[in-house]
Amino acid sequence: MLSLAILVPLIGAFVLALWTSASTRAARATAIGVSAVPFALLVAVWVGFDASPEAPLFQHLEEVPWIPALGVAWRMGVDGIALVVATMSALLFVAAAAWPIELGERAREYYAWILFLAGVSLGVFLTLDLLIFYVFFDLSLVGMYFLIGRWGHGDSQAAALKFFLYTLAGSLAILLAILGLVLAGDGPLTFDMRELIARQPLAGMDLRGGLVLLGFVFGFGIKTPLFPVHTWLPPAHVQAPGPASTILAGVLLKMGTFGLLRIPMAMMHETFARYALWIGIVALVSILWGALVALGQTSIKRRIAYTSVNHMGYTVLGIAAAGSLVAGHEAARALALTGAVVEMVAHGLITGSLFLMAGSFWQRTQSYEMADYGGLAGVAPKLTAAFILAAFASLGLPGLAGFVAEFQIFAGTFAVHPWLAGLALLGILVTAALFLTMVRALFFGDRKLPEGRSFPDLSRSETIVMAALLALVVAIGVYPAWLLEPIMASARILVGGAG
Amino acid sequence: MMLWGLFLCPVAGGLAAAIGPRARGWLAVWAGGVLASTLVLAILAASDAGTVLRWGGGLTLRAGLTPLAHVVAMLVPAVAAMVVAYAAQHEHRQGLRRMIALTLVFVGGMELLVIAADFLTLLIGWELVGACSWALIGHRWHEGAPPASANYAFVVTRAGDLGLFLAAMATFAGSGSFAFADLAQVSPGLLALVAAGVLLSAASKSGQMPFAPWLFRAMDGPTSVSALLHAATMVAAGAYLLARLQPMLAPVVWFGPAAIAIGLVTALAGGVVALIQPHAKKLLAGSTSAHYGLMFVATGAGYPLIAILHLLTHGFFKALLFLAAGVAGERAGDYQLRHMRFGRALPLTGAASAVGALALAGVPPLGGAWTKEEIVSAAGHHSALLAIAVTLAGALSAAYATRFQLAAFGRGDVEGTYQPGAIEKTALLLLALASLALSLLWVPAVHEGLARAWDGELPHAESWELPLSLALIVGGILAGAALARRSALGTQGVTSNAADWLGLPTLIDTSVTRPAFALASTAAYVDDYIVDAPARGAATFGRAAARLFARGDGAVVDRGVRASSAFGRWLAQRSSGIGEWLADAVPEGTASGVGTSGHLAVRMQTGMTHQYYATITGGILLIVALVFWGAA
Repeated sequence: MLSLAILVPLIGAFVLALWTSASTRAARATAIGVSAVPFALLVAVWVGFDASPEAPLFQHLEEVPWIPALGVAWRMGVDGIALVVATMSALLFVAAAAWPIELGERAREYYAWILFLAGVSLGVFLTLDLLIFYVFFDLSLVGMYFLIGRWGHGDSQAAALKFFLYTLAGSLAILLAILGLVLAGDGPLTFDMRELIARQPLAGMDLRGGLVLLGFVFGFGIKTPLFPVHTWLPPAHVQAPGPASTILAGVLLKMGTFGLLRIPMAMMHETFARYALWIGIVALVSILWGALVALGQTSIKRRIAYTSVNHMGYTVLGIAAAGSLVAGHEAARALALTGAVVEMVAHGLITGSLFLMAGSFWQRTQSYEMADYGGLAGVAPKLTAAFILAAFASLGLPGLAGFVAEFQIFAGTFAVHPWLAGLALLGILVTAALFLTMVRALFFGDRKLPEGRSFPDLSRSETIVMAALLALVVAIGVYPAWLLEPIMASARILVGGAG
Repeated sequence: MMLWGLFLCPVAGGLAAAIGPRARGWLAVWAGGVLASTLVLAILAASDAGTVLRWGGGLTLRAGLTPLAHVVAMLVPAVAAMVVAYAAQHEHRQGLRRMIALTLVFVGGMELLVIAADFLTLLIGWELVGACSWALIGHRWHEGAPPASANYAFVVTRAGDLGLFLAAMATFAGSGSFAFADLAQVSPGLLALVAAGVLLSAASKSGQMPFAPWLFRAMDGPTSVSALLHAATMVAAGAYLLARLQPMLAPVVWFGPAAIAIGLVTALAGGVVALIQPHAKKLLAGSTSAHYGLMFVATGAGYPLIAILHLLTHGFFKALLFLAAGVAGERAGDYQLRHMRFGRALPLTGAASAVGALALAGVPPLGGAWTKEEIVSAAGHHSALLAIAVTLAGALSAAYATRFQLAAFGRGDVEGTYQPGAIEKTALLLLALASLALSLLWVPAVHEGLARAWDGELPHAESWELPLSLALIVGGILAGAALARRSALGTQGVTSNAADWLGLPTLIDTSVTRPAFALASTAAYVDDYIVDAPARGAATFGRAAARLFARGDGAVVDRGVRASSAFGRWLAQRSSGIGEWLADAVPEGTASGVGTSGHLAVRMQTGMTHQYYATITGGILLIVALVFWGAA
């Protein structure tokens, strides 16, 4: 099933690439249909997932030998964390494919790239083989590079190139670190994540462990992105089409934090614990700096983009807290880790919807400047309601998904690093200010669009997509048990001796 | 489960109202019905019932009713029912359905924080109330001021909410749970942190110093919203929380004195502000801060029951006064007291308002007077000086209550045509009757019985306190009557500045708001031009180096283009086995490494397909590293 979830969209991408006679309509329908398959498969896996305390960490295993000499194999499997992040990603791909966008002549290629990206992104989350992880991780860069460079607007080529080179530098560091990790320790060479988690190959190696960790943190930090290596993000987002921004923020950024908790936190927990405080400090700086810089932006998209730096900072803070000890404070660390994963899901859904809506602004008036709008509540009530809901979710209002995540991160982190958690609280105050000022500028007060310039409300398909995403945001916020149980099951195993 | 009904009933009712009919009559009946049902549920709820809801991932939501919580749980829907019925008739038609629906959700959020027995549940209700008040204050969104004020109110109160987050975090760190009951296990250091957090959030919610100015900005919302905000929800939450947690936080030595200090300063400053404020609703808003300040004093002195009883009497008379001010303001066209004096034109409203004003002034035998005298006695237990300070706050209260009543409903030239409708009049009458009925609190059998039933203690009164208090009230009333004749008071010069919270909003603006926004703009600039600089520098350097290579050796560039062919090949090499790839790529890579970096320059002109080459460069570097690493 997991392999199918990866292969179906890849085959779909291939078919679309070759199907030269496909109309825009047919291409879009194909993309929606094909991308819905992995989502349905993952939901089925979720339903069958065993979250009881006795259950193994990884489930739904699949393994096909590939390069036995190097210990590389097509290994698939999920724990609760990978499962929820992958399912959320699969849903975002359906949303991105379904979101209406003006594409001109090359619509078919656009949808092919979306499907390609869906396949490789799910591969990152679902694989249990480090080498395959790395291959998919790199391929996702390629897909995103083309989506931004070809279908973006403004100086999109430069932004795409910056994104590509920057994150490529990160993935180089990751490859080095992976090799450093795999080649350490005794036993036959393997890229099997389960084996590596059990082996803890770098235990007791101070310098090498530190360097490998540095490689991972640098590489995943670029992808996440963490301060100060986040500057590729705003231009990439601003020039990208709305749905690509959604995938970038909702799915690709998660690869950074997912990698951080899947690889260094789980496979080298001693070393991770030694440096966790520093990772936490970087996360704190990202939280505060991201929020502050976001407040200073005048463009809708840049403002939302910088809130990603802030929100992913919370996630990294939670991961750092969870991995800060090898033993002790298990309940608090599991709470922090659960919160970090919920933040990944919540941020994907919330920021994903915000970027889709930002794309709607561009489609209608070709402007992202907040000062150009105002008073839209009167003409676009549905957009207003959806945007306000997403904004409040993003600023962490209880009853919506962001709160569940942030509350757990704060509470869990405080038990381990009280100062970091206390200072990070300031982030939610600045986030409140930046979202409320944006809501006011866009929707309230006098209408600033030129007379006669129409601003249609959300169309039917936009409404459906938005309603689906935001319904989940509310569902998580109101009753999160269905999301928390699989995550918590894995988090408990990961903090309690890591495997 | 019944307890959760207190939260679910109004929330579900609100959601239903949001999609139901828009007719005024329907909204009044529906909202009234929902709130009446909530009131019945609150009355029927057993005081000691505790209930736990699993929220997933080991988190639980706990609800429970202490006797004090029970009082507030009943007060909230009772006051809200009258206010919302009034709103359905009084407020403008545009957006009325939205407003009524939000009001119901607002009440639900308040009930949730009242029944909360742990910090998680509390925080959920607490912030829901904040979000609802944001939407209600900004109700007239098409105007400039209300949305800005709504944002101001939300951000200021959220600054206080951070305190609750802190309290929750500290409780969890100390006990492994968020339950209030487990505060007993929390170590003294962490408990102090909890106390500080609770005090901070309570002060911001209840409009205490230095957060008080948000209450003035909140006056940009509709009158009914102000009434609800001040009497039963939102602002009441702070004083309630402090009283609810006082028994657990009392071990922190500075908790009581700090609560007293905040409350007293606000009571006196708020009194002065209300005394000279020319705007009817803002006068009442200043008095709200002042009276919640008195509740802080009572709780700080160790008498949370007294604070809650004052919350009860204040709830009824303050809602009454706001609704009366709403009628007068509608007739005057604005809320300036100098445009009012509607005693003859609005006799019933004026009479009802008089009951509220007398209670606000602390004139016996009204219930508000009894609870205020009890606060004096409670303060007297702390020190005589504190009791005297509270009587002074009482004198100020008497003065501004008198000024309000005479200026708004004194006899004067009749202007305007507005007359309240039947529902508005009924709501005013019912609230006035409730305030009158609370006079029973003066009867010893009643208040002693209540204290027993609600498991609380009444302070012993010193013999000098009541006479002093009454004398000061008489003085206050005379002063207020004199000030009521000066219609220009607070409209110009020094008094105008002082009337706006003694200049506190300006201070906040220049010392917090503006610097914060300036800092944000600076940070945005720094991020674009300085944090990004190393990356840009590296790119520029790379491009320059590449150009140099390209110029020096065109052949290498050529070879790079050919040798590196395409991304597909790179992948193919990989899958054909790393070992082979290794052997192949090291020699080839050294050349194409140079070539590709040179090619970067060419790429600028030839298009983007060649981006793939950058990947190849990366691959090469890795392979080199791999070789070294493996050999080490």
